[in-house]
Amino acid sequence: MNKKILDYTLKVRFPITIFVIIATFAITYYVSRPERDGIGYEPDQPIKFSHRLHAGVMGIDCKYCHTEVTKSRHAGIPSVSTCINCHSVARRDREEIVKLFYYYETNTPIPWKRIHKVPDYTYFNHSVHVNSGIECVSCHGHVERMDVVSQIESFTMGSCLDCHREPHLKVPQFTENAKKGPVNCFACHR
Amino acid sequence: MSKNKTTLNKQWISLEDFENSSKFNEQKKKEFFDGVTDDFELSTLAPLSRRKFLALVSASAALAATACTDYKDKGEIIPYNKKPEDITIGKANYYASTFNDGSGILVKTREGRPIKIDGNPEHPINRGKVPNYVQAAILDLYDPERIKKPLQVKEGEKRETQWEEVDKFIVDNLKNAVNQAKEIAFVSHPIKSPTTFKLIQDFQQKYPTTKLYIYDLIDDQNRKIAWKKCYGEDFKYPIKWNEPDIIITLEADILGSDNNAIENIRLFSQRRDINNPKYFNKLYAIEGNFTLTGANSDIRIRINPAHTLEFVLAIINELFKKNKVSDNWFAIKDKVKNYNLDEVIKKYDLSAAKIDELINDIMNNNNKCFLYGGNALTVDTHIAINILNEIIGGIKFYNFDDINISFTEYSSHEELKALVKKMQMNEVAVVIHFDTNPVFHFMPELNYGKSLENVPLKISMTDLANETSQLCDYVLPINHSLESWNDFQIRSSLISLQQPVISPLYDNRQKELILLNWISLQTSDKIFDLYHKYLQLRWENEVYRQINSKTDFKDFWYTALHDGFIEFATLKTEKPSIRLDSINEIKTIVETKEEFTLLLCDNITIKDGRYSNNGWLQELPDPISKITWDNYASISPNSAKKLGLKNNDMIEIQTKSGNLSIPVLIQPGLAEMLVCVKLGYGRTFAGTIGSNNGFNAIKLMSLEGQSKFLYQNISINKTGEVYKLATTQEHHALDDEFVKDKHLERGIIKEGTVQQYIEEPEFLHHGAHHSFSGPDGKPLSITKDFEYEEVKWGMAIDLNKCVGCSLCITACNVENNVPVVGRDQVIRGREMQWIRVDRYYTGTPDEPIASLQPMLCQHCDNAPCENVCPVVATTHSPDGLNQMIYNRCVGTRYCANNCPYKVRRFNFYDYRDFFANGFYYKDSLKLAHNPEVTVRSRGVMEKCTFCIQRIMDARQEAKIQGQNFDGRNVKTACQEACPAEAIVFGNLNDPESEISKIRKHNLGYHILELLNVRPNVTYIAKLRNINTEDA
Repeated sequence: MNKKILDYTLKVRFPITIFVIIATFAITYYVSRPERDGIGYEPDQPIKFSHRLHAGVMGIDCKYCHTEVTKSRHAGIPSVSTCINCHSVARRDREEIVKLFYYYETNTPIPWKRIHKVPDYTYFNHSVHVNSGIECVSCHGHVERMDVVSQIESFTMGSCLDCHREPHLKVPQFTENAKKGPVNCFACHR
Repeated sequence: MSKNKTTLNKQWISLEDFENSSKFNEQKKKEFFDGVTDDFELSTLAPLSRRKFLALVSASAALAATACTDYKDKGEIIPYNKKPEDITIGKANYYASTFNDGSGILVKTREGRPIKIDGNPEHPINRGKVPNYVQAAILDLYDPERIKKPLQVKEGEKRETQWEEVDKFIVDNLKNAVNQAKEIAFVSHPIKSPTTFKLIQDFQQKYPTTKLYIYDLIDDQNRKIAWKKCYGEDFKYPIKWNEPDIIITLEADILGSDNNAIENIRLFSQRRDINNPKYFNKLYAIEGNFTLTGANSDIRIRINPAHTLEFVLAIINELFKKNKVSDNWFAIKDKVKNYNLDEVIKKYDLSAAKIDELINDIMNNNNKCFLYGGNALTVDTHIAINILNEIIGGIKFYNFDDINISFTEYSSHEELKALVKKMQMNEVAVVIHFDTNPVFHFMPELNYGKSLENVPLKISMTDLANETSQLCDYVLPINHSLESWNDFQIRSSLISLQQPVISPLYDNRQKELILLNWISLQTSDKIFDLYHKYLQLRWENEVYRQINSKTDFKDFWYTALHDGFIEFATLKTEKPSIRLDSINEIKTIVETKEEFTLLLCDNITIKDGRYSNNGWLQELPDPISKITWDNYASISPNSAKKLGLKNNDMIEIQTKSGNLSIPVLIQPGLAEMLVCVKLGYGRTFAGTIGSNNGFNAIKLMSLEGQSKFLYQNISINKTGEVYKLATTQEHHALDDEFVKDKHLERGIIKEGTVQQYIEEPEFLHHGAHHSFSGPDGKPLSITKDFEYEEVKWGMAIDLNKCVGCSLCITACNVENNVPVVGRDQVIRGREMQWIRVDRYYTGTPDEPIASLQPMLCQHCDNAPCENVCPVVATTHSPDGLNQMIYNRCVGTRYCANNCPYKVRRFNFYDYRDFFANGFYYKDSLKLAHNPEVTVRSRGVMEKCTFCIQRIMDARQEAKIQGQNFDGRNVKTACQEACPAEAIVFGNLNDPESEISKIRKHNLGYHILELLNVRPNVTYIAKLRNINTEDA
């Protein structure tokens, strides 16, 4: 009797339980993939700044505001004073510009929500990539078409390595003979 | 005569090792010290049991499955409101400035916060190098225990107050003191700044009853007094250490704790260039204590410092006997005739062979020898040294073109006694402690602390609470060097500027500003750059005029700020002539009884105790004893045996003025009947880190006697208690047991003599494999070797130049965010420093020869650590680096177990959190981190990376510039800090680089080469400049 129950448990119930658990994990793992990687993350920003208007319609170059992208690890979020360069005159009556001036005059920095992030233990360098001729679009998508910026590409180690191994697949202007990115650990981790 | 005799056979690391104790041999075979892995109190580690943890994991997995649509918040990016023009986020800025001790520094800042201090490479004295306490000063700047607001103590209670209130109250009291003709005592360390000196004079003018008291715990008073007696003028000459062929030091630690050690090491090591072996200098260290200078000497003569005077006079006599003294000296011949060298040798059991060689060298090298006595020696001894130095022609090695400037003189013992007396008689109305701590530093018989109670207004200007501020009515927080304006002049040839690189972190002011404000009270809106203007005005009126510059003042000022200093034309002073009758000052020598002598000495880390609250300095091992966090009484093996003492036994030392209980360390090579104790330890109010480390030897000091550092006829008693000292000495003994009788090439230390090298440059590899190479010259291997195509990194450490100053350790700590682990963890062998300096002894415990060797990750081509890692967290890079990836590491410690060099360090705890209740997790200290290096957490392995952040920075810079990366211009932190320039780093694939040349040098060798791990750190064998016959 006892033996029978044990037999049943081991032969039927246990494998089914295991299967259900594994299946649940596997399905949620793949279904939630973009969310886990942050793809589609589109938080509300303190000021409704439109990249579509500035970079798309007006055609302002990315580097006009993100000045450090060619010089440093960080692309650099422009300081409030950069916005004021134009907005001291332009569109001063708009609601969002009034907000901007509030930040400027009270000397408070704007707490922008972070969208793209690599982990702390990864040392990504913008300037090396931008100076090698990789366009911002390759990782950030067509920001100049977005009113609200969201994450388009995955920022996992896998996606970094994909590109470092076969850059021509990801960056159209590279040929197959293009110099590949380093794939050793110390390239990013230290 | 045989050459092999000079080669040092078997190294031993401690006395236990020498005696081959079975326990030690057992220990050596293990990677970790006994107890390293013991006692993990589960309750202290994590509040969760394993079962609970698993339950939580599954619960959260289930939760994640149901609520997975939400995105994780990634925080905020907060840009500047108005970005300062010269800051590029992510790039470092460098500023030249000056540290409060006068060292020219170059401060690295990131986004406006200083993260590293190095020497200013252009500065003529430092040449880019700074002492340990300057390297580690970043920690002092961000010390969370700094006083943040002016404090008033009323009826025993501390109250935060406002500067306006304080200033007004104090100025009223200063005026009252002047009106009542009562003294204002101003207690300071020597003033090194001309502008501060002018300010103090202004202050004295305003408050004429001000009297200056200048002191230092460790001073060179005796040398100064003796010089004045001999030459009739003040001692003020720097020494050209690179010029004498033979340097003889007497109880002087010129390469270690000397205040000028950085410059000394640079000049000394210039004469240790392996490409020019005939130019090698020869260093005799005649000492009782075992100092770094002794460890680096070619010949060390062991003598109790109490007998030095007799020894020096006997040498003079010996030179007379051998007719090597010119006739001018005839007048003193009679004075020394009673001192017979042979008798002295016999009486004090000195090494006759070594002294013979010394006498021979002195006789054969006329005008090429230089003699230098240490601070601890008596005035009489210094007079004798001056005379002998004149006889052998050493006087010319003083630099008469450039003099040491001192604006203030030390107060004599009498003046200090008078101060205390006046305090007791209520004649002192105000006492101002100008960043000083006399309650700790003054000798007990002055009774300063008690007398202080009689002073109505006691003011302490300090950044950290100390023994003195504890007794003061007002404690005024002052700026760190990196927050201040000032100028410094330590030599006549240059004056250096100090500029702030960060604005004051708290409501603190620089001490000069406080004084300036007391001269004429200003409103608070004007105050912040008051001293800056004062400094600028003095420069415009005095320095600018003096230099006769063609540019306008503004340009001149900004150029000086940019460079950090300005130079003046050299002076030409006359060489002073010695007064022959000064020998009459030497009193007859009292025969010493067979009693112990006490020698109090300086240290290389916390100096007189003022840097006590700095964990990096406290944990830096003493370069000889390898003891951290504490001081101790070192005693020779024979004397210890006589008293029945073992290591860690407590003894009570009794002098006339006091007694002290202190643990014993048996130090091989120490003179018999001598006890050495380091000063500066034993602070009681020095913050969380600094308090209660070590034992306060100032208690033993006395105003009487001929030297404040040397006491004869002291008594020692064993108390029976035991105190465990934290040592890094035996933990990482290289496992050389199985090679000890084998061939030399297996040696870890390889040494030879200069003569041997000149005769046969290939002697080191003679008859042995240089490397495991096959007939084609390539290393033997059963698999195909990896080809390093572009850059391959390598390092070379020249053991001829390395003096073991330990600066590489401190620089590495700062650069790589290495945590402080604390005394108890060091005892368990869990220290985290990525580079260590191993010290080996050869010879007998009485007369050991020390060899020092920096040891760091060797980045082996066939790294044994890499193939045992189960999670591939440590791998090899295409440029030859052994990579360690923290986020991949799971902490199996297999790699450390398999490393033959024992250089891997495991985070048994999150040490920032674990040590002293999370002291190093406090907010202000987070600013000290290097943002380019990961801050490691519990459970991961770490080790030297060859400063990968600097390599990547240079590589990326080359890429941005579109250049081919050739690996030049990369300097590791240890290399940058090394005052002897002993470390060379670079690209082995570049045939033009310095490293590829030095790697092929005849003296180059690799440690444990026989394992065929192919290390990338080459050591250059040390050459000792000794006569082969005598060795």
